[in-house]
Amino acid sequence: MAFFVERERTSSTPYTLVDESKGYMRLEGKCFHERVAFLFRDVNEFLAEYLAGDFGLFVFDCAIDYFNSSTTKLLHNMLMQMDKYSVGGNKVVINWLTTHDNDIMIECGEDFKEDIHNLEFNLVIK
Amino acid sequence: MGFDIRQYNDMLKANNVSVIYSGPIWANGIDGMAEMVLKRLEFEELPRSLSMSVFSIFVEQINNMMFYSAEKELHTGAGGDTEEVSRGVFVLGVDGDAYFLQSGNVVTDSSAAILKERIDHINSMSKQELRQYSKQLLNADDSLPGSKGAGIGLVEIARRSTDPIRYIFEPYEQSLQYFTMYATVRQRGKE
Repeated sequence: MAFFVERERTSSTPYTLVDESKGYMRLEGKCFHERVAFLFRDVNEFLAEYLAGDFGLFVFDCAIDYFNSSTTKLLHNMLMQMDKYSVGGNKVVINWLTTHDNDIMIECGEDFKEDIHNLEFNLVIK
Repeated sequence: MGFDIRQYNDMLKANNVSVIYSGPIWANGIDGMAEMVLKRLEFEELPRSLSMSVFSIFVEQINNMMFYSAEKELHTGAGGDTEEVSRGVFVLGVDGDAYFLQSGNVVTDSSAAILKERIDHINSMSKQELRQYSKQLLNADDSLPGSKGAGIGLVEIARRSTDPIRYIFEPYEQSLQYFTMYATVRQRGKE
């Protein structure tokens, strides 16, 4: 059965959608829960297996407007893994969605982009 | 006579304290505190970059207290889940165009030594150097040993502050110290 997770946002965790059948993942809201790595363990486990296989195209829309340093580490690890497997017939596209007045997210997107070699990283500033 | 709330309130006012919290700090508890701080920042109608800087420092100070507090207890909830509860004090104040954030908690002597060394190191860097240092910590295999990302948290506080991080370590009980951290964000520095 295809992996599917949809969780509503809370004050400290983002709206989360991961839909394997559509090759799609979306995070939206704020993320600063101290145990973020624990809360995302199911998504991480899924990604580890999914990305190592033959997935074709996977799109990740990241529309988080604020996250803390533990989340930075979590997202950076996710991005590095997506980058590693975005080769051959497999491609990952990340759309980093933010707004012109969000300096912190723009800077972070720029920094993440510098660490990426294979996947398509679009910094989308509205 | 019990605790003098009125005198306490006068003291908070005289010191420009706008939000103060003293008590248990735990992972899920940050939601309520964050809403209180966000609501307070909303009243100020600040530019986004300024309010997000203040909010970010608040979050990292709370995370720092959860990680380093030497006053920790394990609580088992009704569902049988165990969670770690730390103790700490947090203050947000507004003095003219400056927002100051203070955190206070008890730490062990060894944590005090680590914190002091890290903050001194971070304070010696420019904003550009701090940005590079964050990237370096993110790309390190396991960040700093035993730090659960706390190394990046202190760098984040320094990146969002306009002034260097100030700290005080005071003798507490045996092999413990009371750690106070001060961070300041000035509106002028953020324009």
